Amino acid sequence: MKAATRVRRFSDELPLLGAVLAALAAAVLLEAGNNFALNILATTFLMAGLATAWNVIGGFGGQFSLCHGVFFAEGAYLTANLVLHWGISPWLSLLPAALLGAATAFAISWPAFRLRGPFFAIATMTFSEVVYVLANYFDGVTGGSQGIRVPFRAGWINMIFPSRIAYAWIMLGFLLFCLAASLYLLRSRLGYYLQAVRDNEAAAQAAGIDVLRTKLWCFGISAGMTAIGGSLFMMYVRVVDPPTLLTLADVGVRFALIALIGGVGTGYGPLLGALLVVPLEAWLRAALSASLPGSNLVILGAVLILAALFFRQGLAGALTGLFARRRAAPA
Amino acid sequence: MVSFAGVLLAGLLLGGIYSLVAIGLNLIFGVIRVVNFAQGEFVMLGMYATVVAYTVLHTDPYLALVVVFPLLFVFGMAVQRFILQPLQNEPMMQIFATFGLLLLLQNVVLAITGGTSVSIQTPVSGLTVAAGPLQVSVARVVALVAVSVVAVGLQWGLRHTMAGKAVRAVAQDRRAARLMGIDVERTYMLTFGFGAGLAGVAGALLTPIFTLTPQIGGNFILAAFAVVVLGGLGSVWGAYIGGFLIGITEAFAGFYLDPALKQAIWFAIFILVLVVRPTGLFGLAGAEEMGLRVQE
Repeated sequence: MKAATRVRRFSDELPLLGAVLAALAAAVLLEAGNNFALNILATTFLMAGLATAWNVIGGFGGQFSLCHGVFFAEGAYLTANLVLHWGISPWLSLLPAALLGAATAFAISWPAFRLRGPFFAIATMTFSEVVYVLANYFDGVTGGSQGIRVPFRAGWINMIFPSRIAYAWIMLGFLLFCLAASLYLLRSRLGYYLQAVRDNEAAAQAAGIDVLRTKLWCFGISAGMTAIGGSLFMMYVRVVDPPTLLTLADVGVRFALIALIGGVGTGYGPLLGALLVVPLEAWLRAALSASLPGSNLVILGAVLILAALFFRQGLAGALTGLFARRRAAPA
Repeated sequence: MVSFAGVLLAGLLLGGIYSLVAIGLNLIFGVIRVVNFAQGEFVMLGMYATVVAYTVLHTDPYLALVVVFPLLFVFGMAVQRFILQPLQNEPMMQIFATFGLLLLLQNVVLAITGGTSVSIQTPVSGLTVAAGPLQVSVARVVALVAVSVVAVGLQWGLRHTMAGKAVRAVAQDRRAARLMGIDVERTYMLTFGFGAGLAGVAGALLTPIFTLTPQIGGNFILAAFAVVVLGGLGSVWGAYIGGFLIGITEAFAGFYLDPALKQAIWFAIFILVLVVRPTGLFGLAGAEEMGLRVQE
């Protein structure tokens, strides 16, 4: 008779997390000196972290949010303003950015989470579009359509570095933070509440779970992580404008797409998705965009449709399926 | 000097346009219960198809309707059959798929047209007619008349034809409809095709009014969602009247506040309605779960 399987805890996740971290760090070290590869790696880690953050509410929570671009933009604009107008180090802006993102998420949660399924997606999409317009409008804060620019002044305090490798490490750190937070949440009481709400909201409520509070907290956590990513992005590229931050296709949907391809609702899915999608997209953009404008988005759209139809479990699902079949030998 | 009446009239005409786009969306949303993010792109396709018909075949946009509707009807049926039907019980995947369709359609057209905007001049295009002290664009009046005809026709069709009754039955209770012998999949295909066709008709009627870019679908889709929510999911009259309400609100907000804030207006209306009266003006309680309701 088999021993009862015990509930997985966060400490069970640590070995795999460590191994993943070591592998990614090795990749960074391997490419040290190759600025182009480091740029790709840094972008991949950043997108992986952001997709992981989206996955918290989108995958674990089952709430398809299209407004994560808003939190991303908040982080970027807040950091830019603190650095430019108040002379504060970007490192110190990370926590305020997270709080701002979380606060925004709380604010729109109350009306948004009253909405079932597709209405939530529409509401968040509309919210994102509104913020896009507002970002162009309030140019005192955001630099309007011209965007906002942080001048190059190298130094640790400024979070600006002449070489890419420091950014690769920073983004890896961000990814680690997001993965750890997401896995911790997954194995915590709040995480189990969230998944229960996703799987059957009525039953969860009947079991005594405070559905709104669960969604609210997880949305806030997801938003906070995304905002931090936005801050780091600001210091990485040093010039942003509303289209860069808030275009649905480039930002809001991209996080969701990466999570989908990697495996919505799994711990490492978003990372796998980013590892596949980001380098591939960079290649596609270089190879195709010159000849046909927007063709990389054509591919993105087609991939979205095909992934939704045929690849629902994502890479993570495919991989675990592979392992499960091998492990399913009779005892 | 723009008067109150002028703003009101502008709002009405704008509302006619929104109603036109929203009626198809409402049908799809109310019956199949899928959010078709690509509805704005269907309108855009209708517009470009009209332009092609105009430049290549020299057909007037209002005549091109006859071709555009079936074209998009078939396209819609194909989308439903091959993309949405396999995803029937997976709302999140449906959202991914229709959003992917949005990106695909928008950027295919972008790649083909190379990003230049297009506008056509038809006999109707700059024509205005005097209504008292105000000048009214004839093309917009035609759109308004058209949406009224469509709304009446759709309402009649849903109530009095067998196909319409099948659509309502499927919307009310899919399982019971199936047990009654209604081919649910075929009904869905017909409904989506019709919704797409209506979007195409909207596109054809709007071509004389707008300068076309591949991104023009985005101008309509959010307002259309606001209309559908305001009017009440599944109610044809709701979509009709909701469009006018939104158009008028937008016109006044644009006049007294700032035209750039129109997205904020749509969002504010959307959220307000969903918080205060989630079923919309004409939907019945639980309409968002129960689908199409024809006013008896």
